[in-house]
Amino acid sequence: MILAVTVAVLVTGGVYLTLQRSMVRAVFGMTMISHAANFMLLASGVSAWRGEPINGRTDVAVAADPLPQAFVLTAIVITLAITIFMLSTAVFGHDDDQYRLPETGEER
Amino acid sequence: MENPPVAAPVDPALLLLLVAVPLAAAALSTLVKSRTFDRTLLIGVPVFVGAAAVVLLVIHADHAVLAHSVGGYLNGLAIPFVSDSFAALLLLVTSVASVLCGWFLISTGEDQYRFVPALILMMLTGAYGTILTGDLFNMFVFVEVMVLPSYALIAVTGTWRRLGVARMFVIVNLLTSTLLLVGVGFVYGTTGTVNIGTLAAMDEIDAPGQLALGLVVVAFLIKAGAVPAHTWLVRSYPNTSAGMMALFSALHSKVAIYAIFRIYGTVFGEPPAWTWALAVVAVASILVGSLSGMAENRVRNTLAVQMTSGVGHILVGVVLLTSAALQAGIFYTVHHILTMAGLLLIFGAVEQTYGTGLYRKLTGLARREKATAVLVVLGLFSLVGLPPTSGLWGKVGLVVAAAVPTDGESTSVMGWVLIAAIILGSVLSLFALIRLWRGVFWGEDPDTYYPDGRLTGRSRATTLTADVRIPTRLLVPGAVLIGLSVVLFIAPQPLIDVTQRSADGLLSNGDYIRAVLGHG
Repeated sequence: MILAVTVAVLVTGGVYLTLQRSMVRAVFGMTMISHAANFMLLASGVSAWRGEPINGRTDVAVAADPLPQAFVLTAIVITLAITIFMLSTAVFGHDDDQYRLPETGEER
Repeated sequence: MENPPVAAPVDPALLLLLVAVPLAAAALSTLVKSRTFDRTLLIGVPVFVGAAAVVLLVIHADHAVLAHSVGGYLNGLAIPFVSDSFAALLLLVTSVASVLCGWFLISTGEDQYRFVPALILMMLTGAYGTILTGDLFNMFVFVEVMVLPSYALIAVTGTWRRLGVARMFVIVNLLTSTLLLVGVGFVYGTTGTVNIGTLAAMDEIDAPGQLALGLVVVAFLIKAGAVPAHTWLVRSYPNTSAGMMALFSALHSKVAIYAIFRIYGTVFGEPPAWTWALAVVAVASILVGSLSGMAENRVRNTLAVQMTSGVGHILVGVVLLTSAALQAGIFYTVHHILTMAGLLLIFGAVEQTYGTGLYRKLTGLARREKATAVLVVLGLFSLVGLPPTSGLWGKVGLVVAAAVPTDGESTSVMGWVLIAAIILGSVLSLFALIRLWRGVFWGEDPDTYYPDGRLTGRSRATTLTADVRIPTRLLVPGAVLIGLSVVLFIAPQPLIDVTQRSADGLLSNGDYIRAVLGHG
């Protein structure tokens, strides 16, 4: 339940921030949505506390499901890389974050 | 098809090479600072994969599926790398398109931008990996590997204007990837596996599991640029350079299409409950994509909305989900990759020479550039679906598949709606493309052009002199692709055979399951 509420809060905040004009806020929004996704992934395993999924250390019956953890780890790495790239696009270019629509090269 | 267990003619573990070689090449290209070396890799790697794909296609003629469980883990738990006729065909076509796009980028000098060859090789790694993997989560990872370099590529070949587009491109794609990730997580939560072979082997996937797979399909639909989530593609692709756009259109959206075909064919096998929703998406994509071309004022914007229309046509194959429909859908995919990349490369040559893609600035090229005009006519005919091009067989196949259900009943209501959409879409496309033709190739003789300072971007209108002509070397890659489209009109049978085998392999997934879960 706590997990579900956390996901809801993170997604709500994330969507709000992503819809802001400023790139930095959008980046923060995307980060929150990614965190929400990670929680959802964890919830797809067993969300209760279980033992480490290491062979010979924990009995299989009480070990946690390692797959969602591996998923989340991969997802975190990918999101981190993209976040850095997005922040760099926020730094590039001009001071147009708040006031101007980005130029798309279209004739308006 | 009960094949006796024959020993695979090659070790399936070699499939990993098709991903490892591009990845290693990308790494080498960043380490070794040599233009010749970069160019060799940029062309050589897709040639290698294309050749391997031909070998695979020959093998799959009598050995339907090759599978290898990576790392020797238990079958069904391990991440499998799987190749069947469909995967091999897509590998071949994307490789052909990549070679020619690479050739074009070398001709325009865009490969000299920093790290561009490495990034393209990385993108190829992701595309090939997505095609070959048999695991949904691994598919997500490879999709990310494919999309990440494109974030940089869309900005690196551009001027400041394209940075704004890059922001939008990144945010939309990251959001879609997150959706895909959540979908894959839900698939794991509901079915307990993300292995496509294991999913296919399940007797029946329950409603939550189907919903989770539906989320994955939605994410791939957004990545493919289907209506109503097509605007990101239409607004971002035309703002990168023509060569890049051709590469993106050949890899990104088509790999997403591949994933949808794989999930629908191999996992579902029969239309799931929400088929009507996908039908709405397909019809809307066809009509909106065809109609939007009327309101665009740049060549590549028109082609970008035509990509949306193409995605709609391809989706007709999975909406109907019969053997004939899948065959037609796969045929259309091949045709669309070749035609779209060909047209984009030819208009890339026009833009490179005349410095603009705006209808109102280009005029009267038909008299000035006769070879280009012929190629463009063929390409546009192919998009609309007129002879003498592969577009005709693509559309005829789809219409016939919609008209003739497999069980011998009369045409369903959905079939009629799809046929009407395809025909109406073709007429609308024809009007939109006639507009393109009138804007660029008819009209008065041009008297100005906008020469390109090599690294500084556009300059002012300059009086056109007689020696300004599109260089042949820029036209050749696009001409080869359009030529392939014409060849497919004259001799479609080999491709029809392969696509039929691919469609049957998707629908009767016994061989796939045996190869992935068997002794393999």
